[in-house]
Formats: sequence, C-alpha cells, structure tokens
Amino acid sequence: MNSVAMSQPMSAGVRSDRKRRAKLSATVGFIVALCLLPVFTSSTYTLHIFILTFIYIVTTVSLRTITTSGQFPLAHGAFMGVGAYAAGMASRWLGWSCWITIPSGALLTAALGILIGYPFSRLRTLYYAMGSLFFGLGVIQVVYALGDWTGGYSGFTGVRPMFTGSKVSYYYFSLGLAVACSVALYRFEFSRIGTNLKAIHQSHEVASSVGINEAWYRVMVVAVGCFFAGLSGAVYAHYNLVISAASFNLGTTLGLFMGVLVGGIGSFAGPIVGTFILTLFPEFFRDLRIYSPLVSAAILLIAVYIFPQGLVGIPQVVRAWYIRDRKGDQVAHAS
Amino acid sequence: MLLEIKGLTKHFGGLAAVSQFDMYVNQGEIVGLIGPNGAGKTTVFNLITGVYSPTGGQVIYDGEEITGMKPHKVAELGIGRTFQLNPLFGEFTVLQNVSASFHLHPRSSLLDIYFNTATYRRNEVYISEQSLEILRLVGLEHLKDELARNLPHGYQKMLGVARALATRPKLLLLDEPLAGMNPSEINFTLMNIRKTRQQGVTVLIVEHNMQILELCDRVVVINFGQKICEGLPGEVRENQDVITAYFGGGHVA
Repeated sequence: MNSVAMSQPMSAGVRSDRKRRAKLSATVGFIVALCLLPVFTSSTYTLHIFILTFIYIVTTVSLRTITTSGQFPLAHGAFMGVGAYAAGMASRWLGWSCWITIPSGALLTAALGILIGYPFSRLRTLYYAMGSLFFGLGVIQVVYALGDWTGGYSGFTGVRPMFTGSKVSYYYFSLGLAVACSVALYRFEFSRIGTNLKAIHQSHEVASSVGINEAWYRVMVVAVGCFFAGLSGAVYAHYNLVISAASFNLGTTLGLFMGVLVGGIGSFAGPIVGTFILTLFPEFFRDLRIYSPLVSAAILLIAVYIFPQGLVGIPQVVRAWYIRDRKGDQVAHAS
Repeated sequence: MLLEIKGLTKHFGGLAAVSQFDMYVNQGEIVGLIGPNGAGKTTVFNLITGVYSPTGGQVIYDGEEITGMKPHKVAELGIGRTFQLNPLFGEFTVLQNVSASFHLHPRSSLLDIYFNTATYRRNEVYISEQSLEILRLVGLEHLKDELARNLPHGYQKMLGVARALATRPKLLLLDEPLAGMNPSEINFTLMNIRKTRQQGVTVLIVEHNMQILELCDRVVVINFGQKICEGLPGEVRENQDVITAYFGGGHVA
C-alpha cells in the first residue's frame, strides 16, 4: 500500500522528465535546422522572411511575458517603434555604431516603459489595455509631429546597416538574438519572479497579502517587456534601414497579439510557433497576398475554435481524439 | 499589546462604514470581532491591512503606526490574513499556493533568483519543505498536487489559512473562516485555528457565526460601524445589545 503511494509521484516525475527531454531535443533540433537553412537556400527573399520572423519572435515572446502578469499592453508595437526610431535616429544624427544604438534604444524603451508603466500600474485589465492603447496612438503622433527629426509621414531613412554584403550575417545575428532573448525570458518566467507575476495575475489581493509588491512587479515586467520590444525594434531599424511610424501602429500590436493567440498564450512556445505560422503561412499563398489580413484572421479563428490552447495545444487535442476513438471502439466491441 | 486601534473611521461617500472604532489585541490571544452582516467587520480588516486607507484614526501594530500602509508592507511586518470570498491562486496546485506565498521569509534577491544561485536553490528547497510542513499542519498534505480551484469549499478555506501562515505572521487575521461550511468542516477549522495559536500566532477572527465564541478569549461586537460591546464570550452572549443586534429589537415570543 505504502509503496504504491510512493511510486505514483515517482512515475509522474519520470514522465515529466521524459517530456521535458523530448521538448528540449525538439527545440535543439529545430534551432539546428534553422542554422543549416542558409546552406540549402541562397534565396535572399527566403532569408528576408526568416530574418523578420526572428526579429518579431523577440517582440511577441516579450509581449506574452507581460501578459503573464495579467496586463494586456496595447502599445507593444509602439514600444517596438520607440526602439526603432531611437536607434535609427542615433545612428543617423549622432553617427553612433549599431552596437551602441541597439542596446541604448532598448534601454531607452525600457525607461519609457517604466515612466508609462508606473501611473498605469494603478489600472487593471481592460483599463490598462485602454491606457496603453492611447499611449501607443500618442507615440505615432509624436513621430509625425517631430517630422524634422523623424522624417514624419515620409518615413525615416539613413539608418546605417549592421552588416554589409549578403543577408546571411543578418540571418545568423537575428536567429542568435531570438534564441538568446527567448532563453532569457524563459528563465525569467520559470523562476520565482515569474511565479510572483502569475500569482498577481490570479489574485492581486492575495498576492499583496503575502507580501508581493504588486505595483513594483507590474512596472518591472512592463520594463522588461519594453526592453525586448525596443531591442527588436532597434534591430529591425538597422536591418530594414527605412522605418515608418505606420509599421508600429495599433495594427502591428494586434498582429503581435494574433501571433501570441494563434500559437497559444498559455505556453512559452506559443508566440514562437504563432509568429512562424503567421509570417510563413502567407508566403505559401502568395497569390492571396491582398487577402493576407483575412487569411490571418481565418487562421486565428480556426486556431482558437479548434485548439483553445493555441497551436501548441495540437498534440493534446489529437491525443484526446485518439483516446476517445479507442474508447468508442472498446464500447463497440463490448456490445 | 500587539495591535491597537484608536478612533478608526472610514467613510465611503456619505456612508460611515466604521466610525470611532477602538479595540486591541494582546500577544497570544484569540480575539473575535463579531457582528451581523454589513456591520463593518471586514472593513476593519481592510483598514488594518492597508487595502483601504482610513478617513481617520490610527492602527498601531507592535508599537509602530501602520495606518494607511500598503498591503505588502503590512504583510512584511508580520500580519497575515485570509479573505471572506477566499480568492486563490486557482491555477496553481495546493503546494504551489503555499510555496508561492513564501515570498518574505526566506527572501531571495532578484539576481539570486534570476541566476539560480546556490542561495536561491537552498531557499527553494527550504520553502518546499516548510510548505509541506504547513500543509501537514492544516491537514491538506494528501491534496498537495491538486489544482487549488478543484478543492471543496472547506479545504479551499484551509488553504487560505495555510497561505497566510507561509508569511510567518505574528498576527493572523481570519475573515469569516466558518462561512459556508458544514458542521464537520467547522470542527476541522476550529481545531486548526487552535493548532495555529499553539504555534505562537495571535489570531483575530471576523465572524458572524456565533460558534466561533467557543474559541475566543475575548470578543468585540460591532454593529453599524460602532463597537456595541466587548468582553468574555459568555458575557457577550448574554448582552442585551448584542441580542438586539442579532435578533432585532422586538419581543420574541
């Protein structure tokens, strides 16, 4: 009796250990495959799509990190723009090297995140979403108003490139960046810091009653998320070399959210899977390009309807179907 | 005196939820704060723990004025609490609910946590042992891997107490620990509150269920935001004002 009770948690532990190892090897295999991609294709267009995907993975993963605390920031695209414009302007007007402009763009975005996050930390759920929405709209207007420095409506040009020559250097740099940022944010989420954020999400009153400083944690996670949004924006500016405020508007933010939701907001891998699907999928159907928002919307609806946990939940859903089928068979045999 | 409340007043708009309320709690006591629904009991709790800031008056804890302090600061000073509607970390397991509540003692620095240092790992091992110890104390150890939201009501309430104990409180505030419980759950809870006191924790209980009286060293009765009576459980039970507050002013046949 006693040994049975003891062995149950043990076997559960072994199973979760095996699952973890399977996930780890799948991840490593995927990254290795991505590393080998430039060997097999020399199409600059393919590389371009992957580079953008890697950059946006940094943005969507950091967006999801903020949502684990129960905040829905509708300004994440705008924060990406802050990083892009900060790095771009420092590159053109101050002549700084991209190795300085990128980190300083990210830090400036984080600082702005704290500045905005502090008053917003009093707002919860929908009110926070609304507050950040207005901030995002404001950023665009500032870019237009400061047209002499930002290029205004015609966009900002003259950002100096990080690498010259082929896109392969950009490819490996952005792949490395996406992996490094994902690892950094993974460790953040699965530490006590992430636990505290999830605790605040589930009940802010209980969290405060056990001594967790709710406001501080909420501002901190916004700062961290904004740092990575700014980082991705800065890299985007140094890759694309031309930036315009329209690339960082509400539509962009909603696109980022779509990536998170399609992949699965409840899982760390969700935004990574979602970003891949939403950027690569339209490429298979290039003829439908003008309908691309419609295609994305269709993907979102299908994903949410059939796979409530997002596309990362597919194995679970399929396993459930399989088990149900087998049970159905057994019932049929029994009768 | 561990806790002293002087002239505590809270207005919500024109409504005085609590007015000129005085009470104290000595070290090691179990004190009941009872009164009919809407009397202002929970408001007093929320004023002590900083969920609301008072319109007037003082809250003094362990010789220090804590009036209007933020909830997490109050928790840091050693006041743990449960909630009437008992919100939980529903998506966490029972064990995670308790270990997540070990935010204060021991406390790892952010850098220790992020870089997974030896100090942090040692703290986390200690926390999981202590969490199991607390679950054993309140009799929830066998449910440690269950999701908190799947627990029956009585167990959820006990989990609330376990979580509050994880903050290592000197003073524990229990908000209606018996609400919605069946008789066996009530006995279980009363036993657990006694065990908690044996651990050296001072307890202040808000209840409108008179069964709590058997547990209390001293009782304060509140109605319409004002203290109407104070004394030993036996005295309070006989007090005419209390009977009127609970059963109405008319003559009962």
